[in-house]
Amino acid sequence: MSVAARRTVPAGVAILAGVGALFVTLPLLALLVRTPWSDLSGSLSRSGAWTALRVSLVVSLAASALSLLLGVPLAFVLARSHIPGRALLRAVALLPLVLPPVVGGIALLAALGRSGLIGRWLGHAGIQLTFTTLGAVIATAFVSIPLVVLATETGLRAISTGFEEAARVAGASRWYILRRVTLPMLRSQILAGGVLAWARALGEFGATITFAGNLPGRTQTLPLSVFVAQQRDPGGAVATSLILVVVSVAVLVLMRKRLFAA
Amino acid sequence: MRRCSLVLLCVVFTTAACSSSSSSTKSGGGDPAVTTITVFAASSLTGGFTRIGKDFEAAHPGTTVSLNLGPSDGLAGQIESEGTADVFASASATWMDDVREKVGVSEETQFATNQLVIITPPDNPSNIGSIDDLAGDGVQLVLAAPGVPVGDYAREALKSAGIASAAEANVVSNEQDDAALVAKIAGDEADAAIVYLSDVTSTVAPTVKSIPIPKADNVIAVYPIAVVQGGDASGGARFIDYVAGPEGQATLKTFGFLPPPATP
Repeated sequence: MSVAARRTVPAGVAILAGVGALFVTLPLLALLVRTPWSDLSGSLSRSGAWTALRVSLVVSLAASALSLLLGVPLAFVLARSHIPGRALLRAVALLPLVLPPVVGGIALLAALGRSGLIGRWLGHAGIQLTFTTLGAVIATAFVSIPLVVLATETGLRAISTGFEEAARVAGASRWYILRRVTLPMLRSQILAGGVLAWARALGEFGATITFAGNLPGRTQTLPLSVFVAQQRDPGGAVATSLILVVVSVAVLVLMRKRLFAA
Repeated sequence: MRRCSLVLLCVVFTTAACSSSSSSTKSGGGDPAVTTITVFAASSLTGGFTRIGKDFEAAHPGTTVSLNLGPSDGLAGQIESEGTADVFASASATWMDDVREKVGVSEETQFATNQLVIITPPDNPSNIGSIDDLAGDGVQLVLAAPGVPVGDYAREALKSAGIASAAEANVVSNEQDDAALVAKIAGDEADAAIVYLSDVTSTVAPTVKSIPIPKADNVIAVYPIAVVQGGDASGGARFIDYVAGPEGQATLKTFGFLPPPATP
């Protein structure tokens, strides 16, 4: 932003902006103030934060991989195909973004729980998703997949189809065009979607505790561990929260070019 | 492109947090005609205290009872950090002790007792017939988290039955409170849970199967209630008198609670 542009901000806007900045930073600073620095590692081990961090990393990475695997193809269909009901499909695919995650968890129980629509058949096959790490991955992917869809579809609509057209004229197969022309052009969009999905997955709480339960070492992710610790061990909860803040800040710093650069 | 990324970012962080919330209202000072008594009560008291609150309001026009229900440990934490309660009703002495020590209480009395029971889905998929069966291979057991009174009581009962470690190995989830346990069993998501007798209300009873725990292993949960330091002392004391009095006791009995231990 140039100096000239900065001068054009009216005083009222600047004041509200200041309040807005405080609104976000003050709670985070307060968290730092309340952090039990002198006994940080003790607090973290007592509240089981390291186990939860391991579960969180496994779950969030797997969930973002699953979101990419399913979300990118979904975005292609939404952007490129002309199937009937496409608008409705898009609305449904993006619904988890605005749906309270606990509702997502209940919906997943209805579908994949032990007596759910599909879950009962899985049960006959000896597969149970509830209370398992895989269940936590599914619950988390449910809420993060729309971010991949949104980012990829926006990218697909923005790129020029000229290169793909040229490749087709040159006789390349659809699969070849997808791999060698379209996907490389979408690389940064897909990556941004994947990272946002991962960040969202890392913070997921409601769907996970509802669908996968809360068991240390299996389904208790960092947010669940913060929630449980908050009731018994506020110091541990604050220390664990700090891990999540650090990771979130790291994501934003790493992604700042992609997220904010034109 | 830039706009899209920013929108995405906003969405991520506005939807990222979802947690249980609790509401409470500070008792209205000034106008004596309109008083709100804020009662923090253990989740197991949900049914009983909702009814008692309504009856109390009817008996004391102009008084509103605002209930904040949750696990006793969580409520104690909220009282200690925010101090917004007039009355605290806990499912265990542990958390009343905690609040007494850190905040201070008055008018403390015991007003009810409760016992434990095993519940399973109606078709009892793991064929649980007694508490010992909870240690069986592959039984999916849900308990309340350690620290939550019903979770601690359940672990005491399992220990007394001599199956503490085998049963703990069968635990598939540490739930937040007894209401969450009932939901998991009624929804057929797990094979068994240990809850309070009072949790198996007339509404819950058709959706679960109850298996008694023998007296020798069962735990008597004693419920203390008190006015919290800094809260509305007179309103709080009136509410406590009502709970401990004949009307309150009769209501609690219909919700499956047993009378408090005889005072020495």
